[in-house]
Parts: sequence; structure tokens; C-alpha cells
Amino acid sequence: MGKVLLKNIENPDSADINEYKKAGGYSNLPKALEKQPKEIIEEVKKAGLRGRGGAGFPVAMKWTFASADPKFPKYLLCNADEGEPGTFKDRPILEKNPHLLIEGMAISGYALGAEYGYIYLRGEYPEAKNILNRAIKQANDNGFLGDNILGKGIKFHLAVHQGAGAYICGEETALIESLEGDKGQPRIKPPFPVNVGVFAKPTVVNNVETLSNLPYIIEIGGDAYSKIGTPDCPGPKLYCVSGHVEKPGVYELPMGTILRDIIYTHCGGIKGGRKLKAVIPGGATTPILPPDKIDCPMDFVNMPKHGSMLGSGAVIVMDESVCLVKVCYRILKFLEHESCGKCTPCREGTGWLRSILGRVEGGEGMEGDIDLMLSVSGNMMGKTFCPLGDGAASVVQNFIKHFRPEFEEHIKNAKCRFK
Amino acid sequence: MIKVTINGKEIELEKPVTVLEAARSAGIKIPTLCYHEQLEKYGGCRLCLVEVEKIPRLQTACTLMVTDGMVVRTETPQIADVRRGILEFLLINHPLDCPYCDKAGECELQDLVEKYGPAKGRYKEKKRKAPESLEDPVFVRNMERCVMCTRCVRMCDGVQGASAIAIINRGGHSHMEPFSGGKYDCEYCGNCVSVCPVGAIMSRLHRHSYRPWQVKEKTETICPYCGVGCTVIAQVRDDSIKRVIPKIGSSVNNGMLCSRGRFGYEFVGSSERLTSPMIKKNGVLEQATWEEAISLTAKRLGEIKNKYGGPSIAGIASPRCTNEDNYVFQKFMRVALGTNNIDSTARTGYAGTQKFIENIFGQGATANIISGLSNSDSVLVIGGDPTAINPILGLQIRACSRKGGNILAIGHIKGLEKFNPVTVSPRFYTETLLLEGIVSALKNKKGLPGSIPALEAKIKDISTSAKEVENGCGIAEKDFIRFTDTLSESLTPSIVLGKDIAQSSGGSYKLMLISAINYLMNARIYLLSERANEQGVLDMGCAPDLLPGYRPLSFAEFRKRYENAWKSPISEKPGLSIFEMVDSAKSNALKALYIMGENPVFNLPNSKAVKAALKNVEFIVVQDIFLTETGKLADVVFPALSWAEKEGTFTNMERRIQRLRKAVNREGMEDWRIISEVAKNMGVKLDYSGAEEIFQEISRISPLHRDLTYEEIGKGGAIYPYKGEPLRGVMEDIQMHKGSSVNPDGKLYLRLERPLFHSGTLSTKAPALVKIYPEAVARVSPAVGEALSLKSGDMARVSTRTGSLELPVNIDNKLDNLSVMLTNNFEDKGAFSLMEYTIDPVTKAPVIDANEVKLEKVLA
Amino acid sequence: MLNEAAVKELNEIRQKYPNARAALLPALYIAQREFGHLSPEAYEAVSEILGVPKAIARGVATFYVMYKHKPMGRNIVQLCTNVSCMILGAEKLVDFLKNKHGLEPGGTTSDGRFSMVIMECIGACGTAPAMLVNDDFYENLTEKYIEEILGKYK
Ligand SMILES: Cc1cc2nc3c(=O)[nH]c(=O)nc-3n(C[C@H](O)[C@H](O)[C@H](O)COP(=O)(O)O)c2cc1C
Ligand code: SF4
Ligand code: SF4
Ligand code: SF4
Ligand code: SF4
Ligand code: FES
Ligand code: FES
Repeated sequence: MGKVLLKNIENPDSADINEYKKAGGYSNLPKALEKQPKEIIEEVKKAGLRGRGGAGFPVAMKWTFASADPKFPKYLLCNADEGEPGTFKDRPILEKNPHLLIEGMAISGYALGAEYGYIYLRGEYPEAKNILNRAIKQANDNGFLGDNILGKGIKFHLAVHQGAGAYICGEETALIESLEGDKGQPRIKPPFPVNVGVFAKPTVVNNVETLSNLPYIIEIGGDAYSKIGTPDCPGPKLYCVSGHVEKPGVYELPMGTILRDIIYTHCGGIKGGRKLKAVIPGGATTPILPPDKIDCPMDFVNMPKHGSMLGSGAVIVMDESVCLVKVCYRILKFLEHESCGKCTPCREGTGWLRSILGRVEGGEGMEGDIDLMLSVSGNMMGKTFCPLGDGAASVVQNFIKHFRPEFEEHIKNAKCRFK
Repeated sequence: MIKVTINGKEIELEKPVTVLEAARSAGIKIPTLCYHEQLEKYGGCRLCLVEVEKIPRLQTACTLMVTDGMVVRTETPQIADVRRGILEFLLINHPLDCPYCDKAGECELQDLVEKYGPAKGRYKEKKRKAPESLEDPVFVRNMERCVMCTRCVRMCDGVQGASAIAIINRGGHSHMEPFSGGKYDCEYCGNCVSVCPVGAIMSRLHRHSYRPWQVKEKTETICPYCGVGCTVIAQVRDDSIKRVIPKIGSSVNNGMLCSRGRFGYEFVGSSERLTSPMIKKNGVLEQATWEEAISLTAKRLGEIKNKYGGPSIAGIASPRCTNEDNYVFQKFMRVALGTNNIDSTARTGYAGTQKFIENIFGQGATANIISGLSNSDSVLVIGGDPTAINPILGLQIRACSRKGGNILAIGHIKGLEKFNPVTVSPRFYTETLLLEGIVSALKNKKGLPGSIPALEAKIKDISTSAKEVENGCGIAEKDFIRFTDTLSESLTPSIVLGKDIAQSSGGSYKLMLISAINYLMNARIYLLSERANEQGVLDMGCAPDLLPGYRPLSFAEFRKRYENAWKSPISEKPGLSIFEMVDSAKSNALKALYIMGENPVFNLPNSKAVKAALKNVEFIVVQDIFLTETGKLADVVFPALSWAEKEGTFTNMERRIQRLRKAVNREGMEDWRIISEVAKNMGVKLDYSGAEEIFQEISRISPLHRDLTYEEIGKGGAIYPYKGEPLRGVMEDIQMHKGSSVNPDGKLYLRLERPLFHSGTLSTKAPALVKIYPEAVARVSPAVGEALSLKSGDMARVSTRTGSLELPVNIDNKLDNLSVMLTNNFEDKGAFSLMEYTIDPVTKAPVIDANEVKLEKVLA
Repeated sequence: MLNEAAVKELNEIRQKYPNARAALLPALYIAQREFGHLSPEAYEAVSEILGVPKAIARGVATFYVMYKHKPMGRNIVQLCTNVSCMILGAEKLVDFLKNKHGLEPGGTTSDGRFSMVIMECIGACGTAPAMLVNDDFYENLTEKYIEEILGKYK
């Protein structure tokens, strides 16, 4: 299989519409417009496409709900908030292959009967904003967007909405709030966005990578697509690898590639040949794995069976020089900073956990601190409003589960030996 | 029918509700903190988590809707752990300073911790710090105690509609702040304080002065300020009102109050209150005994009546006094003094407007339920800002907008500007043309229904095109068309009408046009009312042409009825209106004036002339709670009991009759009792054992109030038309007066501002309201300010033909370039001292919109 | 008040949304650019144009870290210290910036040339450590490289 999502990105002008077209771009949108919207949803269903934003929700199911809702207009939102630490997989699409996303959104918009789309772009990607705006203008000028797409009387308008620095805005209902000009705090569900989403209208939120799969699904058909990767979770997948590997970067591989192979085969193994200490496989808030647990297929269905999650496919590799108490502390510091404050357990719990971790890392831990952390995270787990708070609890629980001795050592020796 | 099982108990529900509501309906308690019945759902605190079968995650009872067959458990060991855990989280950053906190005793957090909380804390780090903010004169904000439930913000933004506070920052670093971070710049309704579950925001008025559990008396009564008639609870300790709060579920204001109602009560305990009767000796008021004052009054009134006849005496009743006070007063005037010379400041607009409208549509046309406004699909607002004059009614208009209704405004309405009003602002003195245009457009769109020929006759020839409106009023044709389209497409419209119409030139003609709009749209009309008992004073017959029950004096049949009941003849000659009394005083015809709870020397326009006229009157009696400017002119002054010190009833603008209940004790007499004592001294029997007995008499005699009892009123049963008979079939000719037209170019006009924070001079005796709005200011537009190089805060001399005042200037960028706005609330700085008036011959209301004014900068 | 060009820009952006409120985030960016930071005047201007109450606008703005609530230096150094950057030495760079350039997290140099902000992950983890100076990405940072970069900003 050639590259689908990262196709042509070595070309320095890959973001230009002509280069994209030269490489075969915008040939699938006309094909899609030949079909009935329902047929496209059917193809997506056959393809077995799952959302790439983290939860792996079946795309066709979400679309079916939204297209069945009689309210108009409908909205298609692209989640380009990419805030999960360790994640940088959407950025190459946004910066190098924006037309792939635009073509994907035009197809999706048509399939859903959505007339308006927004790309919710994180504020930290200023370059991507300019690139996307230019690309959207080109697409409009070329009749791929607008009031009368390709002369078919189909309407789809697209605009970029820039976030302003809040990880929680990646959560789809918080994203909607933020798009409406409010704080990014998650909404009560139900009603779900597919029925009452942005501006109280039926809304589909999909990740950048998810939507970028659409042209390819149209190109080869759902059945062929479903043969890529693992049967329960097909398709190409972007894995972004950072940390102590020889060749960090974004890799487009079939869904379900074994984590060990990603690290050792594709990324050239641990930097300097040092020993692997731990891997966070799906972005900073997914459960950490010790070296003996990395023979797992990286997809949405298999990772939970192996004690973690695919998340955003952000693999953070850590060698033996790393202090895991410190890493755990840093992640909790992040989550405390990003907690939207809506619900009590997350707002108060993240800060409390961070402060205990801070003192343990700083050599001021007390006996009982580990149990206290487990108890506090237990009081959070399952009680928070949205997954961010649960994630915070799970980070602490999994670090302790796999690396308890390192925490104990910090407390016993009253210092960190990695300093 | 939906069946749910909660803790093994089967509950049947008619319609889907939340699990919390379902549980409460079955008497099952689920702890909550961020939930509040007046507010939108939030689901943030997580205290109400419960187990639901078939749903793996715990669910918040306050947000989850029940479905048929749902099985819920609220009291399991797991849930107990959850509650303990959540409360522990809430406490880790809480200062636990309950011993110093005024909220202790009524703090929801304290109660929850006591019931469900952890035994001891495990948090060892430093707590979040935030110094207590005392930057605001009325509120104290302690953000260490804030539990981030956002109830205050949801109240301010979602219900009050002021949007003056917000949670700032994010996560654990966030807390509530007004825009400035310190002092508030808001409507000061205090409704945020009402809903705060902890001691994070509180009123400074009672700071550290009592503990909630020390409140022995809680009296449910009615707000003394405006015609909305909100239910308030006065909390009393040591015979002084410590706090006034609203009551959830009360019919008019359902848990809401405005600044006046909540913070305006302190006048009751003011040290400036009159304590003893006074008699003027050698031009100086001196303390006297009750006996002296009463017998002197009786004697002088008797002499004057004998010498000059009853019609040489007049009485001014009070829209701030109870129905009972006013009833006894008019009876006294009619029976003891033999005159119909009785009127009140309701004459300044409300009375004439109501009479005009009722003449066309029948009695009760303006008796509409305030809460119904929010269910209208459009509200046309004209003649004043309802959110300032009748704030709780204003909230219903905001709610209407929130529910998707349209607000249509004639002129800029500040309190509604954030609610997407469709506004048309006619040039000065062209409102009439605009109204004619609207009537024309509606006639074309809707046709004439034919049910009120007399009204149709008046409008059949009116034909004003959008173009003419554009040329005449300066309103773009498309804006006018959008306005009339929106109005005409409305199915359940309401009209909210303020006094500015009656007080403008051509007022009665405009009222005809507004009546026509009401007629063509089949709308409901609401009259804004600035005084708590403005309706009641009329319904009690305190008007020169009305008998109790709002019965025309001119009908012999009604006179007969009262003559029989009172066993005394009633003059068939209509009495003097309040303005005619002033004229009569001026010409020396008026010999005695009896004033109950009113301050005409301040509250009538051209007040300097009123004062001069009153100086001619031989004998003036004033009953009041303060020594007003009018009181200073009086020969006898009686200290009356205030609203909080007596029983009685008020009739609000919906014509709902409500009970006032005594909250505190004070030596002295109710207004009616003073009058009754004077009558007794004159040999006229006007005795009652108490307010209830007076009301029994009213309900025996007045056809409108027939068979009504205090008991029913207390239960909220006194909604118009009660059990009585509204007046029917007495339509007179529709009279109207077009007024003269003025060319306002290049001139400035003095206009009356009706502020949210004040009401008469009464509110200036309430320190909290004075702190919020401390002094009279002249508001002008930026252009007017610039022309005279005036900035906000600069002093300016404001002069008219009747005098001048030096006032600080306030630049308001929403104001037009022809107006200088000034309130009539602050002693010696009232707009009325600078305003002359003419009288509309139909409504008898004073026309005050033609007062040219000069503005000059005063150099320091 | 915002200048005419900014008002025009804002009104154009406003057209991208079905209501004015949705244009609040972009409006705050414009106001921040024009006023240097979100001062009370900046909120007044936004509130005036969009009809969003200023207290609400401030509540929204303070939720997001990319809005600035105090005057900032001419250039903003935004260094990531999240996990991938941290394990590749971002903290040493924080020390370096502080010791060598007097740049403290949250602070501004006395000459007003630089302000510094610590960032959460900026999506450059594969080329960590990384930072943004104003709108420009810099990756695979070393002390020497930072030296070179800072020289470019006046
Ligand atoms: C705290 C949190 C952060 C999230 N951040 C992102 C994100 O940055 N990008 C993203 O695409 N989805 C993110 N998600 C997932 C979204 O809520 C949503 O599931 C996704 O956008 C759906 O798109 P998909 O079905 O195409 O994956 C996040 C979820 C949570 C709970
Ligand atoms: S868990 Fe609660 S506080 Fe945390 S981000 Fe989600 S809603 Fe906000
Ligand atoms: S007092 Fe009223 S207007 Fe002021 S902040 Fe509280 S709720 Fe809002
Ligand atoms: S101030 Fe009171 S009402 Fe407002 S969020 Fe804090 S605790 Fe809740
Ligand atoms: S609206 Fe009127 S009656 Fe109600 S609290 Fe305010 S002043 Fe009192
Ligand atoms: S009361 Fe239900 S979450 Fe707060
Ligand atoms: S962790 Fe620094 S850029 Fe991602």
C-alpha cells in the first residue's frame, strides 16, 4: 500500500491545490457526488472506519444519526485541536496536505447533508491556520467548496475557527462550546451533538485524520478499504512517535501494527541503543506500559485488551534515564492546568494528585502517599463529568501499577536518583 | 405514564423529569449542590451521583431524565463513598472558617458535610488563597469559600439577564468575579447572593450582625417600592429588619427580587424617621402630643369646612399606603369633609392612561398577569424602560426573548439592549407619526375587525406610509417595515406601556394610537407602575371622579350605593385633580390640604411652583414617615407607621391584591388610624378595630371587591376580577388631544430619568441604594458632552426657565443628542424643580416633554 | 475603541458564523493584537461590536491561555515542557533562558523585547524540544540554536 494520508508530503509545495491535483487529488469528490449521500455512508460503514481522534467510534454510526435528524442546517466540524501531549499526527495533514482534508470534508458534508463546516484548529498551530485559509480559498475558487460545488448545486462552506489554548476543547462538546464563543467546558449528554450540536443543530465532529480517509474510501470502495489493517479496525493509521527512539516522527502504517515493531522496526529502536524503560502508547493520558507489554497490536479494539488504549496513536518512548515519578508528575501538572473546572473531582483531584506527586518527586514524600494517591484517584475515577478527569486518575493508577517500586524508592530515600 | 423504581419504590410519572425530581416527588432525598430549581441544569458538582441499572457509569440525578422501567439506587455503600469523596474534594481548598462566616447555619456545604462528609481531612498542602473582597459597597466576595457551582453566574446570566459576573480563569484557579474584578457594575438585584449555597457572596448590609438561626421572625409581606408587588420575606432580629429575601414559588416574583426590594428596606430603621407629631408654632414645627395634634387638626378642618365649605378642602392620598389607609382617607374626605377633592400622584400618568384604555376595552383591560409576558411571542415596549421601572416585569420580557420571542422597542431601551430588540427610534416629537405609521401598516395587513366601531372611526382615515415615516421620523423604510412585519406576524403579542407616553405632548392621541395597535393585534397591555399601590389608590376611590371599586362618581346608582352604606350624602360634583388642587391653592381658593404619605412639593413637576402655591394654603396636614419638603410646609405633621409596621393590602399592576404583614413594631399609628382619630374628634364615626375590619367593609360595599377575605388574599386568591363585578357598558366618547408640534432642532430638552435603584425619595433613605447610586447626575450623549468639553464627573449647570442646578455629568453613549436626563429622587436635586408642565385635557396628566434646558460647564 | 480596519476585519469574520457570539474568540484575538493585551478597553470594544457582555467576554478569555491579560513583550517565547520535550531536555532550556537571558516563565525582559510562556505540548514532539516564537515554530532546540533564534527578534 502506498501512502494515503501522507501522500506527496515530501513535495515542498504539497499544500498547493495544483500539486494536490497533480497527485490525483480532487478526483474522488466528483465520484462521491455521483453517489447518493446514503450510499457514501454505506461505503463508510463497509469500510469499518473508526474515528481517529481517540475514542475509535464507528464513523458511519455517528453519521447515520446526524443525517436522520430532520433539523437544518447541519454542521460538520473537523477536530484539529490535537492537544494530547505526544500527538503531532494531524499537523502534517494540516500543513502539508490540507486539500486532502478539504476533499474529505466536502465528501463527508455531502454525505451528511451538512452545508457548513468548520475546522476547529488549535491556537498553537498558527502556520496551519494560514495554510488552511489559503487552501480553502483555492478550493472555493476551484468549485470544490461553496454554494454550487462542481456545478452540482451542492452547498458546503468551510471556515477555520482558531482555538486559544485549551486542551479540553478537543473533547467534542467542549469544542462546540468553544466554537460558539464560550468556554470550552463539556456539555451534558444527551442530547448528543448529532442531534443538538453547534448552534443547536445536528452536528458531526470528526478528527482530521478520520476525515482525510474519505477520498481513499471513495477511491477504492469500502470493501477494499476494510481489508487494510485489522478486521475490527481497518485502514491506514498515523502513528506519531517521540522520545528516545532513533527516528522519531509520524508513520503511516496499517492499523494494528505491533507496538514493538513501530518502535524497533520503523523507528530504529531506542536512541543510542539504551534500554527501554516504558512506553506511553496513545498520548500522555493513556495507560503507560512496561517493556514486556509492548507486543500489542496498535488499534482501538486490541489495545484495551493489552491494558492500554490507542488514543491518538502518540507513542512516547522512554529509556532508562527517565524518572517516571517526574513524568507522572508532569502529566498531572498538565491535566491540572487543562482541567476545565466544571466538575469537582477533576478540578480538585488533579491539583491534589499533582501536589502529592510533586512532593514525592521532590524527595518529600510521606509514608502512605502512594495509597493516598490511589484513594484520591479512586475517588475521581468514574465520577467525573468527562474523560479528562478519569484520564488523570488512570494515569496515576497505571504508573503506580507498573512502577510502584520507583515511587516507593523516592519516598524511602527521600530523593530522586535521576537528578 | 413512566414507571421508575428508586430504592425499590415504584414511582409513576406523567411526563419525563429528571431522576432528582422523580426522587423528590417520592420523598427521597438526594444531596445536591450545583443544582438549583430556578437555574439551568449543570451537572458539575457530582454530589448527586446515583446508580442506575444497565448503565455502567454512575449518573448525576440532576441531569439524567427518567425513562420507563429505569431502576435507580441512591443509598448504597458505593454512593456513600462517592459523596464522602466529593465532599472531601470540596473541602480541600475550603477555609473551614465557619465560625466567622455569616452563612453558617444556612450553608448547604456545612449541612452536606455534616450529613455525608468525611470525618477528617487528608489534605496536607497549602489551600488556595484569595483575600476577601470588600471593594463593593453592597457585596462581600470571599472566593476561598466558593465551591464553583456557578449558580451565581447561571442566575445572573441566564435568569436575571444582567450577565455581570463570570467565572474567570480555568480549573482549580478559577473563581467568580464581576468585570472589574472588584466592584460590581450591575443591576444589584442580589439574586446571585440568593442562590449561592455557601458564604462566598453575601450582602454587606447584615455582615456579622446576626446568625441565621437567631432570626426568630420571618414575615412574608410585599415589597414597598413598585407596582409589581413582589413577595418578600423580612427577617427580623431584635425588632429590626436584618435582611429581605425573596421566596421561591411566590406568584409574582418566584424567588427573584430587584435592588430596591432587596436592599431598600433600611429606611424603616432610619434615624431620620419622624417620632412624634409636630405642630407649627410661629412658623416653626415643634413637637406636640398626639392629642394636641389630633384635636388641632379636627378643630381647624371643622372651622374651615364651616367657613368656606367642604370643597375648599382637598386630600392627597398615597400610592405607597395600603388599600385600607386609602379607603378610610377617601371616606373621610367624602363623609367628614363633604368633598370629592381627593386625588394622588397616580394622576401623573397611570390613572389617565388606564382610564383611557379601559374606556375602550372595558375594565380590567390592563389587569394582565406579569408572568404571562414571557409566553408572548412578541413584546412591544414603549414609554419607558421596564427593566428599571418594574424590574421583575422586565425579567419576563428578557425571558420572552430567551424563549425566542421578539422584543419590539420604540426608542432605545437600555435594559433590553442585549436581548436583540427590533428597535425603531423616532426623532424627537415624531413618535406620533411613527405610531400612525404602525397603525396604518397594521390596518393594511390585518384589516379592521369591526368589534369596536368607536375606535375604528378614529383610525379609519389614518394613512401614513413607510416613506412618510422615513422622512418624518428618520427611521429607514426597511427598518420600519421589519418592525411592522415582526409585529404583525406575532400571534400572542403584549404591549408594555410606560408613563412617558402620557407625559408627552399629544399623550392622549398617542394612547389612542397605541390602543389601536392593541386592538388590531389583539394584544395584552401592561401599564408600568412606579408605586406599590398605584392601582389600589384608584380602586379605593382616591380620585376626584371615582368611588371605591373603581366606580364612576357620575353614576347616581353608585353614589346611592355608597350613600346608603356610609349613611351620608356624597356630592355629585367631581372633585379637583391633584393639579387642580395646586391651581386652586395658587388662586387662594384652597384653604386646607390633607396629605397622607405623599410629597407633592417634590413629586409633582414644577415643584417650586407647587411649593409656592401650597404656601398660600391656610392649613396643611401631612402624615408621613419622614419630614419631607411638604411636611416642612405643614401646620400639623403626624408620624405614620411604615409599610413594615402595619397590616393591610396592596393592589399591584396586575390588579392582584396581596397582604402586607407587620414585620416590626413601632410606636405610633397607621395612616388610617390617625385619620380615624381626627374624624372622631370631628364627631364623625370612622372606627375600625384593625385593617381587616376595613377590608371587610370594602368587600361588603365595593362591587369589585365583593366577598373577598384576608384569608383568600393570603392564599394568593385575589386575582382580578376576584369574585366581583367589573364595570361594564359605560363607554364614553373617545376624546383625544393631539398636542402641539415642536421643532427641536439645535435645542436640548430636560427629560426625566426613572432609575433602577431609586423610587421617589424613599430609596434615598436606604443607605445601600445610595451607595449604589449616590447622587443626582445629568446624563448626556458624548456629542453633547464634547460640545461643552464635559467629561463624566465634570460639573455642569443645568438651567431651565424655572431655575438651575449644578450637577455632575455622566456621558452615556446610548443617549440621543437632544436630551439631558435627570432623576427626580435626590432632595434639592430633583428634575421636577426644573420642569414646567401643561395638562393633557383628556388624561389630566402633566406633559413635561417640552422643557428646554441649557447646559454649561462649571469651572472648578 | 478598535480602529476602522480592525472593525472591518472583525465584521468580515463575523459573517463566517450564524451569530455574533460565535465570533467572540476571533474578536478577542483581534482586540489583543490591537490593544497589546486584553485590557478593560479591549473588552469594551469587543462587547460593543458583538454585543457580548464584557464580564462574559472576560470570563471566556481568561479560560484560554493564549489570551494575554497584562502587557507583554514585543516577542513571545513559548517553550514546551511537556513530556516528550521534558525527557529530551526542555527543563535545561528553561534554566538556560532564565540564567542567560533573564527570561522567566510568565515574565518579560526589562527592555520589553521578550516575554516567556511555558507551553503544554505544541505538536512538535517528534522534533523535541520545541518552541514557538510569536507564530514561528523552532524544533530540535539546543542552547546554541536558541541563542541564534533569539538574535532574530528585536
Ligand atoms: C479530553 C479530551 C480531549 C480530546 N482531544 C481530541 C483532540 O485533540 N482531537 C481529536 O480529534 N479528538 C479529541 N478528543 C476526542 C473527541 O471528543 C471526539 O471523540 C473526536 O473528535 C471524534 O472524532 P473521531 O470520531 O473522528 O475520532 C478528545 C476527547 C477528550 C475527552
Ligand atoms: S473531568 Fe470535569 S473538570 Fe475535568 S475537564 Fe472534564 S468536565 Fe472539566
Ligand atoms: S446582583 Fe444581580 S446583576 Fe449583580 S451580579 Fe448578582 S445577579 Fe448579576
Ligand atoms: S460564588 Fe457561590 S454561587 Fe457562585 S460559584 Fe461560588 S459558590 Fe457557587
Ligand atoms: S420589582 Fe418592584 S416590587 Fe419587585 S422587588 Fe423590585 S421594586 Fe419591589
Ligand atoms: S447536583 Fe447534580 S451534579 Fe451537582
Ligand atoms: S511535548 Fe513538547 S511539543 Fe509535544
